[in-house]
Amino acid sequence: MISNTKCECGHQNPVGTVLCEACGKPLLEELMQDSEAPLEMRYEGAARRSQKANPHLIDRIWNFFSSVKVAVWLIVITLVAASLGTFLPQESTILNLHTYEEFHEYYKSEYGRTGEIFHALGLTRVYDSWWFITLLVMIGTSLVVCSLDRVIPLYRALSKQQVRRHWQFITRQQVAYVGDAPQDREAWLDRFAKELKKKRYKVRRDGDALMAEKDRFSRWGPYINHVGLIIFLLAVLSRSIPGWNIDTYISLDDGETEQIPGTRYYVKSEKFTVEFYTDDELPESMKGKLRPKLFNTKAILYECVEACGDPTREPVLKKVKEHDIRVNHPLEYKGLKLYQYDYTPQVKLISVSPKIVNKETGEEYGPFTLRMRDPDLTYQVGPYTLTLRDKFMEFGGFDAEGRPMSKSREPIAPAFVFIIKGPGLPESGETYIYFPRDIDKVIFQQDVLNKAIADKVEIRVSSMEDVEFSEFTSTLNVRTDRAMPFVWVGASIFLIGVAMGSYWHHRRVWLRFDGDKMALGAHTNKNHIGLRREVSGILARSGLPVPENTLDNRRKSH
Amino acid sequence: MSLYELSQNALMASLLIYSASFFFYMIAVGGKKWSNREPQAHAARWGWIGFAVAALGLAAHITFFITRWMAAGHIPVSNMYEFMTMLAMAIMIAFVITYLIYRKALLGVFTLPLAVIIIAYASVFPSEIQPLIPSLNSSWLRLHVTLAALGEAFFAVSFAAALIFLIRVTDYKRTDKSAKAARRWLEFVLLVILIVVGFLGSVFTFRAAGYEAVFTQVETVKTPQGEEQTVTREVRYELPPFVQPHSSEVVSMQPFLGLTEPLFEAPSWMNGVNAGRKLNTIIWSILTGVILYGLLRLIFRKQLGAVIHPVLSDIDPDDLDEISYRSIAIGFPVFTLGALVFAMIWAQYAWGRFWGWDPKETWALITWLFYTAYLHLRLSRGWHGTKSAWLAVIGFVVVLFTLIGVNLVIAGLHSYAGVS
Repeated sequence: MISNTKCECGHQNPVGTVLCEACGKPLLEELMQDSEAPLEMRYEGAARRSQKANPHLIDRIWNFFSSVKVAVWLIVITLVAASLGTFLPQESTILNLHTYEEFHEYYKSEYGRTGEIFHALGLTRVYDSWWFITLLVMIGTSLVVCSLDRVIPLYRALSKQQVRRHWQFITRQQVAYVGDAPQDREAWLDRFAKELKKKRYKVRRDGDALMAEKDRFSRWGPYINHVGLIIFLLAVLSRSIPGWNIDTYISLDDGETEQIPGTRYYVKSEKFTVEFYTDDELPESMKGKLRPKLFNTKAILYECVEACGDPTREPVLKKVKEHDIRVNHPLEYKGLKLYQYDYTPQVKLISVSPKIVNKETGEEYGPFTLRMRDPDLTYQVGPYTLTLRDKFMEFGGFDAEGRPMSKSREPIAPAFVFIIKGPGLPESGETYIYFPRDIDKVIFQQDVLNKAIADKVEIRVSSMEDVEFSEFTSTLNVRTDRAMPFVWVGASIFLIGVAMGSYWHHRRVWLRFDGDKMALGAHTNKNHIGLRREVSGILARSGLPVPENTLDNRRKSH
Repeated sequence: MSLYELSQNALMASLLIYSASFFFYMIAVGGKKWSNREPQAHAARWGWIGFAVAALGLAAHITFFITRWMAAGHIPVSNMYEFMTMLAMAIMIAFVITYLIYRKALLGVFTLPLAVIIIAYASVFPSEIQPLIPSLNSSWLRLHVTLAALGEAFFAVSFAAALIFLIRVTDYKRTDKSAKAARRWLEFVLLVILIVVGFLGSVFTFRAAGYEAVFTQVETVKTPQGEEQTVTREVRYELPPFVQPHSSEVVSMQPFLGLTEPLFEAPSWMNGVNAGRKLNTIIWSILTGVILYGLLRLIFRKQLGAVIHPVLSDIDPDDLDEISYRSIAIGFPVFTLGALVFAMIWAQYAWGRFWGWDPKETWALITWLFYTAYLHLRLSRGWHGTKSAWLAVIGFVVVLFTLIGVNLVIAGLHSYAGVS
């Protein structure tokens, strides 16, 4: 197809060149034959690596990924795959199911035959499947190869542009004008150049040839946005690096402190609040409905500074941050983020401050503070000594062998077993079971369980003020994602590149004389109408009125 | 008059002014061949009148937006009514920008009805001001929604230009197979537009007449613990029911043209929220759309494309192709920023993850991929003109599916924006 790569102007072009690198003369036979049609100006008609003769294996792979057609196919396949994944809920959104069989059953029972087929084809777990990730990697490869294949020849072509271009190159631009040369060429060119400069063109002249250019940087927009996308894709793929990504949940009652798994940090919830809109704030149709207004966890973040991970000692905590965690307002500290995720209304005791009553004399001692979590083991209250022997956070009665048991570790219905020593009690002490909640006292018949000692002493709370409880359990989502900065950098670079390429346009104007004829050609990569309007305006102000639509070279061709 | 009432009146005013502007643009385009006038001067004069009126409508629209913002205390972009009215506003802004660049009166003829239809569609939803739930209370969300709508608005303008292009280049004289197929596809697009008009027409007609039918539906749902529970739900129809919800009973139903009970029941696999009502609405829309189309065909006695085609004869299709492409090129960065980047930032703040493959999110990505493919295809030879115009039309269908279809068919995190 391509035989002679040496142009008549004497320039030696690489194989695959469409338009002479120096003068712009069309080099392909078929382009010369149709001497009217506007020229294809992509990549300045320069040869690309992928157009090399005699390709080897590496070249073939390079050629495959350098094709825009292949890139479009990759995009379309990704698009179709992504859309198929939206029609049934993905497996990752379904809680409590794990195995292939469980999911198979689920989709079969929920969506029938369609569900079965979707599940069998893997369309219920698209986005983390190997083939979807392969598609993304292929798109990434295509981005790199396509960009390199084009940006290098384009850069070379644009940085060594010659002012004087071939007559055909000029007259076969999409915006072109051929007319009689003005009387005084030099003076007219000066005037024309001045008008071009007013429109921010950079003007170069070579004898009686002229070239003007502006906003060349916009040509780099696509390549910059591709760089941004590559960074973005790499950042997304890097999230599978161990330790780069933490995603766990912590449930906290008011006043509870817990370690954040895998870190030196501890988080405490001082108080969780939920607010709903009042009827006054709601429109007619929503009155009487619960519409949440605010979820807020008053949180304190601690860092462990001493005895961390030592099971025999209490860790020493240092407060590092205090924050009201609300939806859309996470707590952030050194890459660690805590999000308000969920809450459950569940009344749990935090502590009680009961008194001990000697039932025979009526004397009261105390109060003493009994914490539900990590209670002290001994209490000295007046003449009495209490030793905590056992505790049950959610008392569940007795098992078959008569042993008391607990249903959970949450202080929902707590029971404490003390050995009490003191006046009127045996030397070795008496066993006393204490239910802080009055309702549990009745349900589990505290007095019956305690038998004779129930007539001698009583542990009791005199008012609600002596009871501290948590109304809600707040669930926080703990996240660390070290890839995030790269995600944002990639996205920003992408946007800058896209804006450069979309909102600025590379415009060039060439002009030369041939005998008593003058030829003007202009090129842009976007917005031909705007270019025609601009060139027509500049010509008019240079004393050469040419209507906008006669500059349009396309119309002449069809 | 309260701020809320003021804003509702401003919206109604803008709707009427847009309709007037549409009328003036019609005169600008259609009246060129009227006797005793210079066609160019006529088009320029009426084109500017149309534009001035459209700008006035936009001013009223912006007044609606700002007063509603003041009344609500938050920017009104948080439910379907607010989003759709804002989308129409964004389309008008995109129209003003594109019109100032290209000055083509025809653009007005196609974009203004689009804005009017979208405002009408918005009015299907309750217009009352709703207080925000915590996850929607975020500045990133506001930026996300506003910019996404603006980007989509440019895609809408591109759609309008592409549609004019297609009607302009379709050959109504040739009789070969491919020409016939091209005409038929174009008729299909016009029919779909009439179905949308039919939907709006039937909803507003029966709403004005105060029509109502009520059903109780018994549904079996699974609790998170895996137990089955039956729930009885009341379903209200605003349109006469051809189809009743699955396993439901009529509570009350006003008769309509001798129709005293529903003709059939929705199949059991349609088990989504309000699936029966949605199916009924779709049947009504298609029915009225087809009737409208049939009536128009009876009046004109030729294909609707052939009715519009002659009006467009003096327009350069290359310019339309360029406008359609350019609108996408302008809208694409805005869409990327709004629908993807700001959405990711918001998701990061609200849920701790910037991407979750939620259906709405995924469809925003699909829209983006589609227009990415479009922009790359424009680099290849042979993808300008007709093919490119069809892509712009399909692209807008993808946009509409993302905005409305996803809520209709698939529910996800964005399901707050319920659909009738």
